[in-house]
Amino acid sequence: MTLPPFLRAALAPLRLMMRDRLAVAGLCVLSLIIAMALFAPLLSPHDPRHINEVEDGSVLVQTPEGWVLGESLGAVALNDAAHFGADIGAQSLIVGREGTIWARESGHWARLDGGTVADLNAVDFSPEGTALIAGADGLILLRDGDKWTEIKAENADLRGAAWLSAGDALIVGDNEDIWRLDAETALITRINSPVGRGFSLRSVALDADGTALIVGERGLAIRFDPQSGSTALERLGSSRDLNHIHITTGGTALVTGERGTLLRRAAADAAWVTDPAPDTRALRAGYIDDTGTAIAVGRNGIIMEWDGAEWLLSPTESERHLRALLVVGEDRLALGSDRFVTRLAPPSREHWFGTDHLGRDLFSQNMHGSQIALLVGFLGAALVVLIGTNVGLVAGYFRGRTETILMRTVDIMYGIPFEPFALILVLLFQPSLMIVILAVSLLTWRTVARLIRSQVLTLRERPFVKAARVAGASDLRIMYLHIFPNVLPLVFLELAIIVGVSIIAEATLSFLGLGPPQSISWGGILHDARLSGAWRTAWWWNLPPGILIMTTVLSVFFISRSLEVVANPRLRARE
Amino acid sequence: MSRRNYLIKRVVQALFSLWIIATILFFLFRMGLPDPTAALITEGLNAEQRALIRAQFGLEDPLWKQYMLFLTNALQGEFGTSFSYRAPVAEIVWERLGNTMILMVAAITLAYAIGVPLGAWLSWRRGSLADTLGIFVGLMFRSAPMFWTGMIAILIFGVSFALFPTSGMRTLPYDATGFFDKILTLDFLWHAILPVLVVALYYLGSPLLIMRNTMLEVYGEDFIEMARAKGLPERDILYKHAARNALLPVVTQLAVTIGLAAGGQVVVEVVFSWPGLGREILNAVRTSDFPLAQASFLIMAAFVITLNLLVDFLYSTLDPRVSFR
Repeated sequence: MTLPPFLRAALAPLRLMMRDRLAVAGLCVLSLIIAMALFAPLLSPHDPRHINEVEDGSVLVQTPEGWVLGESLGAVALNDAAHFGADIGAQSLIVGREGTIWARESGHWARLDGGTVADLNAVDFSPEGTALIAGADGLILLRDGDKWTEIKAENADLRGAAWLSAGDALIVGDNEDIWRLDAETALITRINSPVGRGFSLRSVALDADGTALIVGERGLAIRFDPQSGSTALERLGSSRDLNHIHITTGGTALVTGERGTLLRRAAADAAWVTDPAPDTRALRAGYIDDTGTAIAVGRNGIIMEWDGAEWLLSPTESERHLRALLVVGEDRLALGSDRFVTRLAPPSREHWFGTDHLGRDLFSQNMHGSQIALLVGFLGAALVVLIGTNVGLVAGYFRGRTETILMRTVDIMYGIPFEPFALILVLLFQPSLMIVILAVSLLTWRTVARLIRSQVLTLRERPFVKAARVAGASDLRIMYLHIFPNVLPLVFLELAIIVGVSIIAEATLSFLGLGPPQSISWGGILHDARLSGAWRTAWWWNLPPGILIMTTVLSVFFISRSLEVVANPRLRARE
Repeated sequence: MSRRNYLIKRVVQALFSLWIIATILFFLFRMGLPDPTAALITEGLNAEQRALIRAQFGLEDPLWKQYMLFLTNALQGEFGTSFSYRAPVAEIVWERLGNTMILMVAAITLAYAIGVPLGAWLSWRRGSLADTLGIFVGLMFRSAPMFWTGMIAILIFGVSFALFPTSGMRTLPYDATGFFDKILTLDFLWHAILPVLVVALYYLGSPLLIMRNTMLEVYGEDFIEMARAKGLPERDILYKHAARNALLPVVTQLAVTIGLAAGGQVVVEVVFSWPGLGREILNAVRTSDFPLAQASFLIMAAFVITLNLLVDFLYSTLDPRVSFR
């Protein structure tokens, strides 16, 4: 079988490439990267744009250096904690989502089984040590010793619980539900709210005078008097959602709420004051005692401590959403965390290349980044070689005025600095894939045109061209069927080199934030890293994209090196 | 053609190129930024003041009039006032150009000073492990995007070991009366090491590989056989006979590189906060400071063309075969 000369010429470089070991290695690596681009959605375990969140039973422990993350208590969030007793037999209970109950005795954790999988929201100990737990869908749990009693209220989520006396407790929840529990009989009775507009009640605490104070949405505060069984509205001085209330036996009280709401009462008969907060994120729990200690915790790892005059942010270096505080003497724990964004997480089994500042999976981003790199790389290079080869062919073949005009144009292009020109082009005409490819290729064809022309200049004087001309072949036929196959090795060489140049150019534009918008590219990942400032510590963020760019371009260079031998036969003889 | 005529022809060609580039630039900006003063709204200028500026830049005139104004201004070196700096554009641009050139010249010099002898040595040891390694490392730095190499260099030498400063040309605040006053200090050298090294590593690949490949070609020439036959030591053959004759393609490459040096390496300037011309263009276009962006680019292009011209003349003196075409 004889192939047309055109095809045979095209195949020659490939055959030579297979003989060069480095070129074969480059070809293999490049095929891998092309496969990566084609199958990026299959290869990435996450959506590259998805902000990854994770739930965790997080425990932050106060140390002299600040609050540090302790060992995680399982994969679900912890919602509330309570403590009973002083020395021996002292126990803390921590409740969380999906029926999680943990007991903590002198620093040791033990998992308890309450016989439920409902989310548990609140826990409190009676003066006798009976634990009361309230949870989703009207679930109320009583624990006396090892005996668990389950009570069902109506289908509303219960959010707060507090004992009023030994056998008497109050449980509050959504829809302004207030339930009074008689622990002896395990019966509950509904208490009517004075508002009746279906607000969510979030927390309840026993006040120093024996009444209970309930807080809820929109600054709602309801006082319940167990003696008369009556309820009354109270003004605490805030209309923000209030999340938690803590009152000491002495009457000092702290209410925490949305947008950094901190309401403090210095004594039982003192007025409520709104403290300025150092951060305006939601505060979910607070703790105060009579000695002047006060702590408030909230979303995104916010922990504030009262230093006697003002609230100060404590360093936590954690993004976890804190929901509860457990303070037993000097043993202070902050507990959470419902779904929090896994920002700047180092590589793990879940995120192979870690996550970025928005919690996006970097492995998936790097996989997807190959698409833009190769698209711009190959399309740009094809465009460059197409223009450059034709200009070179025409200029070299026709000579004369045509050549002067074309080559003068090339000379002018050599006067235009590449990077600044590409920048201006993209910035003036809004980044888009089209403009980026144009910016990458509009100037680079100058080298190709010069090279091809010089090659054509020698070829056109060769006997076979003269023979073709004598035989009556047209200019086009001579140019494209007789001369072109002979410059093909050079064209392939240039193509390979320009692919590398284009990939780097695209990465450069993307790095400067000028890449195709809404696309993920290797340069773009590095742009994000630089912009966030976290790249100085998050090595997993800026190493992989650069290595991938380098590997891709290097593999292309290795391939081009073998083609150089084709284009320059003198090299073949020496090596 | 006589040498004088050749020179004149090349200078005329260069001026022609510059005019074309200025024209392209003018229309590019008019297409991309129909109302350059739009960016000034944020600065609290009222409609009246904007109209004044529009008139000042002749933006109300027909396009051909604007174009003529632009050309005459450019010819007189009058580039207007920068919107963001509120200072004459020309002053800013010349200072930035100096900063870019000192970085580029230092880096290119370093790259060729290392690359050429190393390339010659690699060709001598062709096929050895050192040869493969040398090619690999040269190509590797050529393939790595410079902004990334820069970031990694900062990460390692600037942050982890805290050996070198990572941004700017001098420790702030400093006062220097002139360009040379600014750069002839140890502090400047200290700031320049990392960026120069990063650019040099990128450029290292070409002299290295070109030198190596040309040397391989030269080894096959008769005069090398002759030198061998005379019993000269390999060292002498390598450096005195072969290397000298292999230098020409390297010089060609050097000429092209220097010619484009004024274009600088925008990303390196960005990564190292080097106050160069490339970074200035980026900022100017970003903040729609079009007098500055336009002038920076034009002066940069003028410099590139002048360098190309100079390099051509020098080259024609070096190699009589190429001259007076």
